[in-house]
Amino acid sequence: MKFGIFYEISVPRPWENDIEHTVYHRCLEQVRVADEVGFHSVWAVEHHFLEEYSHCSAPELFLTACAMQTKQIRVGHGIVVCVPQFNHPIRAAERAAVLDILSDGRLEFGTGRSATWTELGGMDANPDETKETWDEYTRTIPQMWTNERYGYEGRAFRMPTRAVLPKPYQKPHPPMWVAVSSPGTEIDAAERGMGSLGLTFGGFAEQEEKVNRYRSRIQDCEPAGLFVNERVATVNFLYCHPDNETGIKTGSRLTGSFGYLAAQLLPVREVHPTRSYPNPGLLAATRQQAAQNPGEGVSAPEGVCIGNPDRLVEEIKKWESCGVDQINFLLNALETIPQEQVLDSLRLFGEEVMPHFQDDQPATTSEPRELAATVAAGD
Amino acid sequence: MPINGNADPGQLTQYAPTMASLDTEALTLPNVKVLQVIYEIDDAVMAELIPPALHPTIPPTMHVIGLRADDGPLGAFTLAIVRVGCRAAVRPRGLPTRAVCTEGEAATALVERWGFPITVGEPVLRERYDRQSIEVNDGNVTVLSAQLIDPVPIGNGDLLYTAGMHIANVERDGETKPWLVQVDPEFEVSRADRGTAQIDAFDSAYWDAPDLRPVYPIVASYTTANITLPRIRYICDPMQPAISGTVAL
Repeated sequence: MKFGIFYEISVPRPWENDIEHTVYHRCLEQVRVADEVGFHSVWAVEHHFLEEYSHCSAPELFLTACAMQTKQIRVGHGIVVCVPQFNHPIRAAERAAVLDILSDGRLEFGTGRSATWTELGGMDANPDETKETWDEYTRTIPQMWTNERYGYEGRAFRMPTRAVLPKPYQKPHPPMWVAVSSPGTEIDAAERGMGSLGLTFGGFAEQEEKVNRYRSRIQDCEPAGLFVNERVATVNFLYCHPDNETGIKTGSRLTGSFGYLAAQLLPVREVHPTRSYPNPGLLAATRQQAAQNPGEGVSAPEGVCIGNPDRLVEEIKKWESCGVDQINFLLNALETIPQEQVLDSLRLFGEEVMPHFQDDQPATTSEPRELAATVAAGD
Repeated sequence: MPINGNADPGQLTQYAPTMASLDTEALTLPNVKVLQVIYEIDDAVMAELIPPALHPTIPPTMHVIGLRADDGPLGAFTLAIVRVGCRAAVRPRGLPTRAVCTEGEAATALVERWGFPITVGEPVLRERYDRQSIEVNDGNVTVLSAQLIDPVPIGNGDLLYTAGMHIANVERDGETKPWLVQVDPEFEVSRADRGTAQIDAFDSAYWDAPDLRPVYPIVASYTTANITLPRIRYICDPMQPAISGTVAL
């Protein structure tokens, strides 16, 4: 089991003075502490226009700063929105390669397609098209990374043969992931030999089913990249405190605030009916569960990692038994939890929870399970 | 925290009914044609359109809804509704500003039993092969013309309809005052189309939302559905955050 931290970068109103500056630098301080205590990775989302919920529109810049201030922790670009109105695939490949170089090969490359009208409408992107463009990106970006020159004539974009530069530091390329929020996307990840970067959880039983489907299907995958990244990560909240009741109560403020904010956004499915978005997405299950307990009471929902170390060990063991390889934790929302408490929580987790979980994979390498046939450039 | 509405509930009740009772039975209307046209609206006034209990969506939205029932327990009727998209705590909702219904049993029932802010008029829902439209005239002036253009079939399960929060004067504990009455119909969709949304005429003053301005089309849908209007289960104090001001009946 590995542990990561996961940033939406939530900024509370009023947006005056230096609040965004303050929040960003608090996040960087958290990342430094997470690196010191042994977290495997820091993930940052790409979101646009999501007021208060996420002010993380240039994650590659944030992650570059993370990489410059840390030694071991891997940087998860999670996810790059694979929609042309957001990111041209060549630019996505270039930026990721630079981040991989600057971090000395610590990049994890997440892919996805956005789930809100707030974002897709804002970028004038067609929600019907995002699955198709995502698929095209996941096939072509690894080719840009691994071929000296590459050309492409496709549906979402075309390019005459060019050298897309620089190339990533990791060879053949950084591990690739898929954001999984809609049911069945774990199958998409498996079929393409990519990691399943879970953004929802519906409890242990549902997660176990998803993992089983993923593990089964990935055996016969056709990798989008040059190797298979067979890993299952899920998202969770983290607030660890010596006193269980205090931990749950404070952590519930975090889960409640997060869920409340997320619910104010416009999921594609609410306003733009399409088969491309069969469910609300965007941490939907997480937010729904969180919103049922908006900061009151002292009970924690199943599997949520808030409470004392003993409780967290118990919950994480259950996730581990479901086949989850990694848990990525949200640490704060709306600055609900004071910075010192967030840092104390990270340190306590590192001291009293992490030692219970063996990390049997090296933190700085990806281990290709098999090499895929290299697709010739310029198809 | 998210922005709350700041409209005075008393100012939102020009067309709000007084509901003598909230104890109503559910009612199913068969084979109703439903046109829904969704637009983003000018954000400058989004908080002024809804009471403090509610949050505007991000981005703020409006729903123009046209319904036509050709038969059923309330007889034939046509209804046009303008709603502001919003959230009651974390729940997606729409706040009707005004509705216009053809005269008859339906208008009376929808007002008395579910708190629709209805005035009687002559809304017209037109179904063509290349478009569907809802139109409302006030004398010689077209106060609403909205349409779906170039319909294409979609799955019956692809659509979501959000519940309404109908502002109505309700007597409770000896006091009559405005409450938000939650009306969450069930839609059993048997056919659904989607197309381009277009609003050609919208008189915001007529619809009792003087500064409401549609600015950016999202999408339009047209369905045939059995609609079950529910028992009223919840009401909400419009001055309190919905998370604390909601009362189960």
